Amino acid sequence: MPDISPNAVIALIVEHQIVETDVPLTPESDLFASGLDSLAMMQLMLHLERQFGVRISPGEMTRNHFASATVLARWLSHPNRSAT
Amino acid sequence: MTLEADVIIAGGGSAGLAAALASARGGARTLLLERQTKLGGMGTNALVHTFCGLFHPDVSLPWAWLNAGIPVEIGQAMMERTGQSAPDLMGKVYVLRQHPSLYAQIADELCAAESNLTILTGSEWTDLHRDGNRWQLDIMTRGAKRQLKGKALVDTTGDATGARLLNPEWCQQTESARLYRPAYICAFHGMTGTHDDGWRLQIGAMIVRAIRDGKLPPEAMGAGFRDSPFAGETFLTVDLEAGQGEWDPFDPVKRARVEREGREVALALWSFLRAEHADFKNCPPPMLPTKAGIRETARYIGDYVITGDDLGLSRRFEDEVALAGWPMEKRENARGPKFRFFDEPKPGGIPARCLFRQDVPGLYFAGRCLSADHEALASLRVMGTCMATGEAAGKLAVDFASRC
Repeated sequence: MPDISPNAVIALIVEHQIVETDVPLTPESDLFASGLDSLAMMQLMLHLERQFGVRISPGEMTRNHFASATVLARWLSHPNRSAT
Repeated sequence: MTLEADVIIAGGGSAGLAAALASARGGARTLLLERQTKLGGMGTNALVHTFCGLFHPDVSLPWAWLNAGIPVEIGQAMMERTGQSAPDLMGKVYVLRQHPSLYAQIADELCAAESNLTILTGSEWTDLHRDGNRWQLDIMTRGAKRQLKGKALVDTTGDATGARLLNPEWCQQTESARLYRPAYICAFHGMTGTHDDGWRLQIGAMIVRAIRDGKLPPEAMGAGFRDSPFAGETFLTVDLEAGQGEWDPFDPVKRARVEREGREVALALWSFLRAEHADFKNCPPPMLPTKAGIRETARYIGDYVITGDDLGLSRRFEDEVALAGWPMEKRENARGPKFRFFDEPKPGGIPARCLFRQDVPGLYFAGRCLSADHEALASLRVMGTCMATGEAAGKLAVDFASRC
């Protein structure tokens, strides 16, 4: 089970320029308010899968799961979440 | 053979349609020239299926029309015919879904009601001359040449065709790499299910995964779906890279390549989704557009060049003739739009000086080729705003012709 930190998610977003924002992202930043749109969400999904070896199914692509770096990290690290 | 008129409108898209109606209603004998065979431009030929720019930008308030006159007339007719009583709230903007076939019908009916207005379609504008105090346009209808003569000319071609024929110094064009990308739109029929935001995200994720696995071409990345106002019909929109820095909207070989790319990606998506997603199972091949949706080519340099900062600050002008309310929706690549919203949700003014140059009396321009910088164009190019600037240019042209 991967242990993913909010800061690792932020680092990924910044490294791949998933959102362009003037204000630095914090673990609690609202990602959608920071400019995350549906296309950027798809890119982020691919990077998360590649970086952390998780698998995100199309049915799991919801705005709730991508609300903030903290929410995303907690969800991806959850022991009950299938790793495949 | 020569046709004479008071006002000639070149280009029958949203701007030209509104300009022609305004001109004819103002009492001018009016010719409207269109190279396709339907009026409505991108809204009919490219299947652009949302009217943007029709509404006040403050979505904390109930929706309200932004520009009185022809934009409201067309918007209301579309609401009646599609059974919609209000626009959709899409994030931070109001938009009205429109149907391309009904837009063509509305345009036909509005024009047929004007006895001063003659519509010419299927004809290319091939040259422009100044003949005394008249504009002379050479046109070509499948090998048959004609001249149009008029006191005033409104260029609503979207491409500043008049300037490019007579004096290219009157127009400007952003460098290829930054030109807003074309959109390829087609209509899927026989769809089942409901298609909300969550559905769109799931489809997006399926497509992204298929691209990664080599089952879809990379061009499918930017695919988006939006339901028509009619059950069973969904529009697919894909932004095309169009060769990025190599893109030249005035090169016919590159135009052909873009159209082919659009068809390839649309039909690849159809095959894939039909096999993989229940909602697409009964879809016949999608109905393709007449042409890709062009967002930016060349535009005029008028007495004022409106800027992105003017709009961002919701600046107002003494000589404003229309209002802009759509955010600057910049699509310099096919990886999705970058929005610059107005700092405050207040409309920005569009000065009359963006529709003419004092050193060229009797020439007006509106729609996608009005005088704006690259960033402002990202707001002003949308159909609702084109109707408003077109109507304003039509009125200015009537006024000029009446003084000749």
